[in-house]
Amino acid sequence: MTNWKKKTGYLLSVLMLASAVTACSSGSDKEETSAGTSPSQAGTTETSDSDSNASNASASGFPIVQEPIKLKMFAQKSPPNGPYEDMLVFQEYEKLTNIDVEWEDVPTEGFVERKNLLFASNELPDALFKAGITQLEAVKYGSSGMLIPLEDLINQYAPNLKGLLEQYPEIKSSITAPDGHIYALPAIVTLGSGRTDKFWINQTWLNKLGLKAPETTDELLNVLRAFRDNDPNGNGEKDEIPLSARRKDKDIVGNSIINQFIGSWGLDQQMGYDLNINNDKVDIWFDNPEFKELLQFVNQLYTENLLDHEVFTQTEAQYIAKMGSGNLGFFANQANDPFTSKKDDYVGIAPVAGPNGDRKAFGKPVARDFGAFAITSVNKNPEATIRWIDYFYGDEGSIFFRYGIEGQTYNLQSDGKPEYTDEILTDSRGTGTTIGQFSPWPGGGAPHLISELNSSAINPKEVQAAQEALEPYLPKEIYGAPIFDEKTSKEVNTLRQDIDIYVLENSSKFITGALSFDKWDDYVKTLEKMNLGQLEKIYQEAYDKNK
Amino acid sequence: MENWRRAWKRALSRYDLYLMLLLPVAWYVVFQYGPMYGVQIAFRDYIPVKGITGSDWVGFDNFDRFFSSYYFGRLLWNTVSISLLSLLIAFPIPILLALLVTEIRSQRFKKLLQNITYMPHFISVVVIVGMLQLFLDPKSGFVNLILNAFGFESVPFMESEGWFKTILVGSNIWQNMGWASIIYIAALSGINPHLYEAAMVDGASRLRRLWHISLPGITPIMIIMLILDVGAFMNVGFEKILLMQNDLNRGASDVIQTFIYNNGILQGDFSYSAAVGLFNSAINFTLLVLINGYARRKAETSLW
Repeated sequence: MTNWKKKTGYLLSVLMLASAVTACSSGSDKEETSAGTSPSQAGTTETSDSDSNASNASASGFPIVQEPIKLKMFAQKSPPNGPYEDMLVFQEYEKLTNIDVEWEDVPTEGFVERKNLLFASNELPDALFKAGITQLEAVKYGSSGMLIPLEDLINQYAPNLKGLLEQYPEIKSSITAPDGHIYALPAIVTLGSGRTDKFWINQTWLNKLGLKAPETTDELLNVLRAFRDNDPNGNGEKDEIPLSARRKDKDIVGNSIINQFIGSWGLDQQMGYDLNINNDKVDIWFDNPEFKELLQFVNQLYTENLLDHEVFTQTEAQYIAKMGSGNLGFFANQANDPFTSKKDDYVGIAPVAGPNGDRKAFGKPVARDFGAFAITSVNKNPEATIRWIDYFYGDEGSIFFRYGIEGQTYNLQSDGKPEYTDEILTDSRGTGTTIGQFSPWPGGGAPHLISELNSSAINPKEVQAAQEALEPYLPKEIYGAPIFDEKTSKEVNTLRQDIDIYVLENSSKFITGALSFDKWDDYVKTLEKMNLGQLEKIYQEAYDKNK
Repeated sequence: MENWRRAWKRALSRYDLYLMLLLPVAWYVVFQYGPMYGVQIAFRDYIPVKGITGSDWVGFDNFDRFFSSYYFGRLLWNTVSISLLSLLIAFPIPILLALLVTEIRSQRFKKLLQNITYMPHFISVVVIVGMLQLFLDPKSGFVNLILNAFGFESVPFMESEGWFKTILVGSNIWQNMGWASIIYIAALSGINPHLYEAAMVDGASRLRRLWHISLPGITPIMIIMLILDVGAFMNVGFEKILLMQNDLNRGASDVIQTFIYNNGILQGDFSYSAAVGLFNSAINFTLLVLINGYARRKAETSLW
């Protein structure tokens, strides 16, 4: 008996040990193969692979492939999005194209983490969708062969994209890496109002208090004070929030409460960073006296309780709830979809003029969201994949992408533009979430074309009016973020890791009064020590190169 | 030589026991020591396609970059000061609680107290931080409402550097003291009751018994716990700090581990963060060896 027990124990331990060892060795095998393949080899095998498959993909028309294929895509799921595999748009598109996409959709929180681990472990999907790939990532993973160059594929298989690149040459320069390749596709926004934040003021409150829309920062102060003190919502309590803003998040350059007023001090956002371009001179304005005055103004707003004190801690959901409550006096947002039920209370106004007479607005480039789509080196059907995505950059395809199916989710209006059905527009979940169940665009950053033809939801007449108010103050040219080569990228990254956090932290402290403005000179000196000058020089060189 | 042979013989005669040991050892080799070869990316410029062993060596570049970073001093100070605060304040409290609990005569009250103090341990970090945000809110949090009722101004606790460490360490103590006291309570119940009886016969007061019997009785456990805590000295509760962090308290809340997360995971700078992480672990390891050696010499209790 004991002998039997002994034997079983012996067998068991040997078995488990063996399985552990095999698990380990199979892991290391994989490591070796991936380490052994140099990027150039990976590239060549890829092309030969794709050549053999090219016959399957037709050059134009649907279906894209005769024999059904499967693609694995890694996608970002924004808060309003439902599961990707249940989206009507993709289910229909599969029937149309013969391409079955297997989605791995990861929620926005934690998405960046997952994306980086994907690259770090070299376990790649066929393509990345709505992926927010940064310029640095595009260069880093593009030059190492993990992302494949797309420019030839675009020329041959993507007529819509090709047309857009020809029509807007600035797109091409802002997505082409220094080595001449395009590694990632942006979301392209030809609709002007899709690239600006509007300044929304509570017109109902203004009317009630007998005030007119503010034209200058001083007038704005008075209006906000009246909002604070005179109970414009009429409930007898001082619960109005005169001014609020988004908390800084990864997608926003700079601090959004500061962004709301930079134009009033003549500051701009160019090249995807906090910098002005004056007569071909790049000027990062973190150390400018105008920025100090701007901070002093926001500090005044904060200490007078005009600015919402939760501005540094609130979540996006809290901010959206505040906008939707109708209890906000003044704030910035791209469209009025978060507050559709209160939309008649708000009008979009022009930026207010600052004490030095500056009055500017800022906007984003046509290639608005960089890195929305990329194809990886493991993809065996790059032609089919580029055709799959290109449809969404055309008029017909982008309407399908955003609106779904005529008669089911949208109807054409008399002007020929689509509008969602009434069930969708009046759904109690809010339009963003309702649309997000059948199309991935709500939440932003999806690879497709946003034009006047397909934007009823984000460009209703109130938003159009607000955009018109901004239009005269927008800069003539808006430059996209430059793509540096890998070495420069690393230098920029190292510099910005220090500088961005330092500016963010200190501007927040200046605003709340935790840091007195006596310390401004120290702040400027520290920035100098962090080599702000070198960063400016790098941006200047990038500007000169693209000019 | 002779000793070795004898040991080997003894081991052979009990080979089945050693076979059982094989599994845990294999586990350590495969899952704990095996992955350590990846540490070398701290000295390389890690590019995923080239793999861990194929990326170029860069020597101490990544370390240089960290040590010359503007934030190095602050990161180190925040990490060390939070750890020190935890060690000085949070370490003795479970011991006091354990002594308190064992001295309580009423069984019901004892059980009640123990249950109440354990409970918070099971709340997730996310919920704890949510609670802190609600309770300490300048406008609607009850702490500030009480302050207001006494005529004080609201304090933005979560948005200030000065309060950050107090809140962090304080809430950690609140959450973990009950749980951490369990091991001491167990040690206390293992002390021979005859010792207490003898002391009582000799007329020792409660305090005397506590001082001369209870405390010496749990000293070995205290030292082991201290060594373990010191070994994780630089690992300050990272998830909680990250959740509590905002631009206004970053001056006090930026620690080495949040720095690694922000630069390594979120920006894909893996070699750099591996270097920073290695630095962190090296300090932990050094401290562990030092305190263990000290304990072995002074208190004759140690991990090895």
